[in-house]
Amino acid sequence: MPDLLFEIGTEELPSWYVDQGREALHERVTALLEDAGLPYAQVTSFATPRRLAVRVTGLPEATERTTVKRRGPSAKVAFEADGSPSKAAAGFARGLGVDPNALRVETTERGDYVVVELEVGGEPTAEVLPERLAEVVRSLPAPRKMRWGSGELAFVRPVSWLVALLDDTVLPVDVDGLKADRVTRGHRFMAPDPIALDHPGAYEDRLRDAFVLASPQERRDRLREALAGAAAPEGLTPVEDDELLAEVVNLVEWPVAILGRFDARYLALPDEVLSTVMIHHQRYVPLQAPTGELADRFVGISNTVVGDASAVRAGYEAVLDGRLYDARFFWDSDRSQTLAQHAWGLAGIAFQKGLGTVEDKVARVRAVAPLVGQSVGLDEKTMAALQSALPLFKADLATGMVDELPELEGVMGRSYALEEGLSPAAAQALEDAVLPKVSGGALPAGDAGAVVSVCDRLDTLLGFFALGKRPSGSADPFGLRRAANGLARVLTANAWDVSLRDLVAMVAEGYADADVVASEDVRLEVERFVWDRVASLLGDEGVGVTAVRAATAGAPPVVLAARRAHLLDAVSATPAFEALQALYKRAANLGSQAPSGVAPDPSRFTEEEEAALLRSLPAAADGVETVIASLQRLLPGWDVGQGVAFDWTKVDGLDAVLSVKEPLDRYLDDVLVMVDDPKVRENRLALLRAVSDTLSALGAIDEALATSA
Amino acid sequence: MQFQDITLTLDRFWSDRGCVIAPPFDTEVGAGTFYPTTFLRALGGEPWRVAGLAPSRRPADGRYGDNPYRFQYFYQYQVLLKPSPADVQDVYLESLGALGIDVTQHDIRFVEDNWESPTLGAWGLGWEVWMDGMEITQFTYFQQVGGMDCKPVSVELTYGLERIAMYLQGVQHAFDLEVAPGVTMGDLRRDFEVQHSRYNFEMVNADLQRTLFDAFEQEVVRLLDERLIHPAYEFVLKASHAFNLLDARGVLSHSERQGYVQRVRRLAESCAAAYVAPQDTKEGDA
Repeated sequence: MPDLLFEIGTEELPSWYVDQGREALHERVTALLEDAGLPYAQVTSFATPRRLAVRVTGLPEATERTTVKRRGPSAKVAFEADGSPSKAAAGFARGLGVDPNALRVETTERGDYVVVELEVGGEPTAEVLPERLAEVVRSLPAPRKMRWGSGELAFVRPVSWLVALLDDTVLPVDVDGLKADRVTRGHRFMAPDPIALDHPGAYEDRLRDAFVLASPQERRDRLREALAGAAAPEGLTPVEDDELLAEVVNLVEWPVAILGRFDARYLALPDEVLSTVMIHHQRYVPLQAPTGELADRFVGISNTVVGDASAVRAGYEAVLDGRLYDARFFWDSDRSQTLAQHAWGLAGIAFQKGLGTVEDKVARVRAVAPLVGQSVGLDEKTMAALQSALPLFKADLATGMVDELPELEGVMGRSYALEEGLSPAAAQALEDAVLPKVSGGALPAGDAGAVVSVCDRLDTLLGFFALGKRPSGSADPFGLRRAANGLARVLTANAWDVSLRDLVAMVAEGYADADVVASEDVRLEVERFVWDRVASLLGDEGVGVTAVRAATAGAPPVVLAARRAHLLDAVSATPAFEALQALYKRAANLGSQAPSGVAPDPSRFTEEEEAALLRSLPAAADGVETVIASLQRLLPGWDVGQGVAFDWTKVDGLDAVLSVKEPLDRYLDDVLVMVDDPKVRENRLALLRAVSDTLSALGAIDEALATSA
Repeated sequence: MQFQDITLTLDRFWSDRGCVIAPPFDTEVGAGTFYPTTFLRALGGEPWRVAGLAPSRRPADGRYGDNPYRFQYFYQYQVLLKPSPADVQDVYLESLGALGIDVTQHDIRFVEDNWESPTLGAWGLGWEVWMDGMEITQFTYFQQVGGMDCKPVSVELTYGLERIAMYLQGVQHAFDLEVAPGVTMGDLRRDFEVQHSRYNFEMVNADLQRTLFDAFEQEVVRLLDERLIHPAYEFVLKASHAFNLLDARGVLSHSERQGYVQRVRRLAESCAAAYVAPQDTKEGDA
């Protein structure tokens, strides 16, 4: 049972591609083996900044043998009068490399045809693999490839060598002139000599001897160990940052921790500034004291063990010092002006052609946010914080620090506001207003900032939709999907009881005097777009699309729609509810012919079923209210899309809702609604309308029916 | 190693590897990439190897000489190899060895850097080379220059000379570098840096630079009509510098800035297109 090793040696890959490339290679080689008819025991993949590799164990000596049938010409034209094969049949046979006299006739649904049975497979593994492996190199997916030298091959970075070993034999893989061998390379500096591999099994061990940890997990474990080891003697711990670790582990083949320090006077800078400078510019790991405060220490991860690390440490420290010097420069010079003065600079920063500058955008948000704040029920103190934060919204965009370190937007607004003595709540609102920054990123901590965040995002959506710049397909150059996702998350997390339609209308007022028109069509389009994003986030939580469609009917508040979606998704699978949905559908269809709000007149009832149905409605209405109230209790507000624990059996009132089912069923079966007498007919329709109105607070529940259809 | 020994050593090193050692160009550029020996020669199919000192200006990077690393006028050492050789990383590391840097005793890293010059219509993929956390070189495989695909691909190495020299001499500020016996970088450049920082940030006459930009732009068009590609390209560089001054002065709004970037880019692309266009046999050509 031979083993395969295939390694693509490269010049240094971008750190973000190391894992991605390894997974792609793993997947492509697995697919290749299946396609070629080569079963295997196990596939293991490896990657470092200088290599992507895969090892397959337990391959057969040859591909699996199977028989395939090929159909040739119709029997009518396949033979001459004397029974010998015709030209057509001979050609068919020749094409497949078989003797024309071996053809036989088979009767099919469409008549008699010449067929031939071919034995396929049984090709030696060593012959099947080379060209297919070469193709894997040529077609390995990557977001952005490059060419180099005079060749045509494109890869993420230049490919330097290939190893292709089937047990102890080199496979003749040839990728545009680059030929595979058994020779890999160790660490660029610590083991520069070529390493000839005898067998795939020796791969990681030989590389480990050459200061390369090819297994991502092993490298990560070593990195964590090294980090903790460097920090512990100082009584400090590394700041947990998975994104940073994932990057650093793929910047090195052999992680070595170097402890460094910086001038303690830089500790006067906000922690976020310090860690952003360390992480973003240098990929150093900040260290923190047990109190959680940053220390004047860091760990840099080197790729090389050196005799005397003092030069490396001095280099790390000197570069960081230069960066912190700049940050300190901006911190001081930014504070020589107030945020209100910085805000003047927003007039010079374009937001989007047709939508004005950032100053224009801030003015629109300022105009509408207090109203939105009131509508979501902010208390007096929070309204005050909102009012003092609004004039400074986005002012930090015009500061030197944010210009230099854009990821500090919001954080600097808060920090500078605190320095000028703004209230902590208002300062926090300035940071919260720009959250969430990325998909899955942190949400606003306070309500005032959340209101600004909602207004800002809706303003963006309305503006771009009014300009006709909607996302199409996967292209979303203005980040509108991200904006709408953030909006939906903030609204659901804060559980604000304002309908999306009303919110859109309030924010659209900001465009009252603008050049673009946030028309009703635009507003409806934005609403639909946001519902699509809500559906996608709920989809991430496992809620079916039909339940979402049912739950979002009637322009409810986003959080209510999300709650109803969870409920409908869960209960639609129960037979009792399914029956109610079917009845509701009939009731709603007919009832829609009657106007809403016209109560049925019991004096016009002629059948007991009519009276019975009307009698059942108050209990059902109570049930609906109880359901909504218990949904509110079970799902008080959550970060939609991240998943939420919800047990529908704990929802009260469902039985009361279902109590309408039996009288409704009898009414629909036994009472003829569309009678000739217009007064009776209208009264019967009004009764159905009353039923659907009662239940509609749960959403267009019949829409959820399609789940089971 | 004195500063000028570094350039002399690199000249010798790259000369031995088949490079033309080109003298510094005499029009302001933002980086060695703007040199005609890089920008124009990276186009087309002819092999080409060039190296040399490339003084560069980035008006907005001035810090009045206060920051030890950032200057509005600085020295790059620029190498262009076309087509890019397979062993270029090893050769580059050897060049560090020639400067007395033992690469096995430092943390040398090739860290992803996707380079793009919006004003040149150029982009490439490669790395920043880090030594002990400090970026000392940009290493770029050009994929497009002047809006055109590079075939073959050139590799550009841009050494940050001041940083390397500061490390080699163990000084904390580029102005403390010894350039030649008894002469420091500060002696050569301090007044120049302080005065130009003041000029760039405080004294640039914006109206004049806007007018100049417009005039330079028209000149490029006029000269290209005459197929005077080299003179036209020099006016692209002048226009680019006028834009950089306006930018440093802080008088450009975001959208205005984008507008200028696109205008420079169009000029650069039209020069590139003219440079690779087959030579017409014009009347009067003998």
